[in-house]
Amino acid sequence: MENLTQVVAIDQAVCTGCRRCAEVCPVDAIIGAEGQPQSIDTSKCVICGQCVLACSAFVSPFDDVAENLPAMRKERGLDADDQSLLFAAHFRSDIKRVSALLSDPAKKSMVQCAPAVRTSIAEEYGLAPGTLTPGQLAASLRRLGFDAVYDTIFAADVTIMEESSELLQRIESGGPLPMFTSCCPGWVRYMETAWPDLTEHLSSCKSPQQMAGALFKTYGAEIAGVGPESIASVAVMPCTAKKHEAARPEMQASGVPDVDAVLTVTELAAMLKAKNIDLTAMPEEEFDVPMGLYSGAGVIFGATGGVMEAALRTAIAVTTGKDVSESGVKFFPAGEGIHRASVDVAGKNFRAVVVSGLANAAPLLEDVRAGKADFDFMEVMCCPGGCVAGGGQPKLLPGVDRADAIAKRRGGLHRHDKELPVRASHKNESVVALYEKYLGEPLGHRSHELLHTHYGDKCGGH
Amino acid sequence: MSSRLNSFILASAAKCIGCRACELACGAAHVQGGVSVGSLQGSIAPRLYLTRVEEICVPVGCRHCEDAPCAAVCPNGAIQRTDSGVLVDEEYCVGCKTCLAACPVGAMEMAQIWKDGRPALRKVVDPQNSDTFILEPALLASKCDLCHERENGPACVEACPKDALILVDPMKVKKRRNIEAALALAGVDTRTDFRSGEER
Repeated sequence: MENLTQVVAIDQAVCTGCRRCAEVCPVDAIIGAEGQPQSIDTSKCVICGQCVLACSAFVSPFDDVAENLPAMRKERGLDADDQSLLFAAHFRSDIKRVSALLSDPAKKSMVQCAPAVRTSIAEEYGLAPGTLTPGQLAASLRRLGFDAVYDTIFAADVTIMEESSELLQRIESGGPLPMFTSCCPGWVRYMETAWPDLTEHLSSCKSPQQMAGALFKTYGAEIAGVGPESIASVAVMPCTAKKHEAARPEMQASGVPDVDAVLTVTELAAMLKAKNIDLTAMPEEEFDVPMGLYSGAGVIFGATGGVMEAALRTAIAVTTGKDVSESGVKFFPAGEGIHRASVDVAGKNFRAVVVSGLANAAPLLEDVRAGKADFDFMEVMCCPGGCVAGGGQPKLLPGVDRADAIAKRRGGLHRHDKELPVRASHKNESVVALYEKYLGEPLGHRSHELLHTHYGDKCGGH
Repeated sequence: MSSRLNSFILASAAKCIGCRACELACGAAHVQGGVSVGSLQGSIAPRLYLTRVEEICVPVGCRHCEDAPCAAVCPNGAIQRTDSGVLVDEEYCVGCKTCLAACPVGAMEMAQIWKDGRPALRKVVDPQNSDTFILEPALLASKCDLCHERENGPACVEACPKDALILVDPMKVKKRRNIEAALALAGVDTRTDFRSGEER
C-alpha cells in the first residue's frame, strides 16, 4: 500500500485553534498555540481519531476558504463535487480505493465489518444510536457489489481461540506475563511508540481485522478457487487506526496485503448513499458462510470488557467442561477507566484487568515496567468505551449527549450477543470447521504463519 | 419571552474559544437529520458567524432589532417582526440583498433555504437549451430565527461547550439592572460582569 498520505491530519486552513481536540487526545500529540492552527506530532499520534470526532471547525459556505473546496476535497481523497462537510481534523478517505477494487473485474471482492459497525451505522440514516442493523448491513454490502460478505466477528472468535491458547501457554511456560490484548491498533501503536521495552507483553495475535484479511486471501481464496492476488479484501471499521494497521508492511500473510483498504462507518454510509442504497429500507439478510458466521462472544469485542468476557467464556468452558452462556465473572471499578476481577480457572487464580481509554493504561504499565504488576491478563481499548466510541464512528453533532449515545451503541452490542444462538467463540461451527479443515489447532504451524505477528518492529511517524 | 421586546442571542467574547460548535449546531438545526453529521440532509448554512478580529473571536448574529432595518428596507415585505422575533418568509424573498446591506451587525446571509427537506428553487435558463428553464437551489435571505420551532430552544446556546452563548430576555435583564442599581445606591456591589457573560 504505497503512496498513502497521513491517516489523521489537521487542515491548517480550517483549524481555528480552539484546541478541543487536544482535550481528547490520549497522547498529547496535538501541537499549537490557542487560537492558532494546530498540527499533529505523528511520532506520538496513535491514529485513534478522537480529534476527528471532537472537531467542530468546519468549512462554512460563507468562509473565504470555501472557494477552495474542490481542491481541498481532492487533497482528502474525495471527489471534487462531494457534498460532505469538511472539518479541520479529518482522516484520509479510502472510498476511491474501494470503488476501484469493486469495479476491477479481475478481483473477487470480500468484505468484513467490525462488530461496532452494526450498532451505529443507522445513525447516518437519522436513526437513534444503538439501533441494530446486522441483516441490513449485510444486504447493503451485497448491493454495493461485494462477492462475499464475511464478518470481522468470525475472526474475533478465531482471535479468542488463538489468544486464550497463547495465554495458557505463557502461564505454563512462565511468560512473558502479564499478557496484553493486541486487537486495538491504537493501543498497539501506543505500546510501540511510548513503551517499546514492554511490547513483548502484547499477544502475538493479529487483530481480528488482520486475521480475517489473512484468512480471506488463503482459506477464502481456496474456497473461491482463486489465488490471493485475485482477492480484493476490504474492511469496514469504526476506527481510523485500522487504516494504518492494514498498511503495516508485515501484514501480508499470503505475500500480498491481508487487507487492501479500510473504510470507516461514515465512509461506508457515504458510499451507500452515493449509490442510493438505503440501509434502513433493506431486507435482513445473512452474512455469507463460512467466514460470516459469528458468536455473541465475538460481537462484544466492540465494547470495553468484551474481549475479556469472550475469553473467559471459552476459558471456563474448556477448563471445566461446563458450557456457559455468560462467564458470570464480575469486574469491579478500580480507578478511572479500570476494572479488575479475580477468577479461578483450572484451579489457578487468574487476575484480569480491563482498561477503557488509553490515557488510563499508563499507571498499570509503570507497574509492569517496575516488575510490580499484580495481574495476569490486560485488555486495553484505546477509545473510552471501546470501538463503539471509535474515531471512525458517526460524528455526533454538538449538543448531542455523547456518553448516552456511546452507552446505547454498547447496549446494542450486548443485546445482539444475547439474541444469538451461539454465544461462545469455540462453539462457532465455522470456527470449528476452520480448525478441522485448514488450521489444525490453535497456535499450530498455519496459525502461526497467518494469524500471528511480531509487534514492536515498526514505529516512528505515520 | 417578553412580548414587548424581542429576545436575542448574545455571545461572550471572553468565553468563546472559536470552536464553531454553535455554527455547526445552528446549520444542523435548520435541516433534517439525526444525531450525526452524516445524517444531515442538505447543505449546512449557519445563521450566526464566528468572526475574528486580531486576537478576538466571537460569533455574531441577529439582534432581532425592534425597528429592524432589514424589515424596513425589504421591497417585498418578506421580513416581519413576530412574537418569535424578526423572521424571513422565504416565500416572498427574492434574494435582492438589500437586507444584507442594511443590517448593522451583518446578521443576514444569502443561503440555500431548506423547506420540508428540499431546497427552495429558482428558475434559470437552461445553459444547454435557451428555450427551456431548469430549477436550481436559490440563495435567499437567511438569518437567525431563534430556533422558534425547536423544542429545546436555540441550538447554538445548547451546543456551546463553554457556555459562551445566552438567550437574552431584554426585559429580564433590564429589571435585574434596576435591582442591581438600587442595591448599588445602597452601597451593595452586585454588578454582573458582562465580559464573563455570567447571569446572576
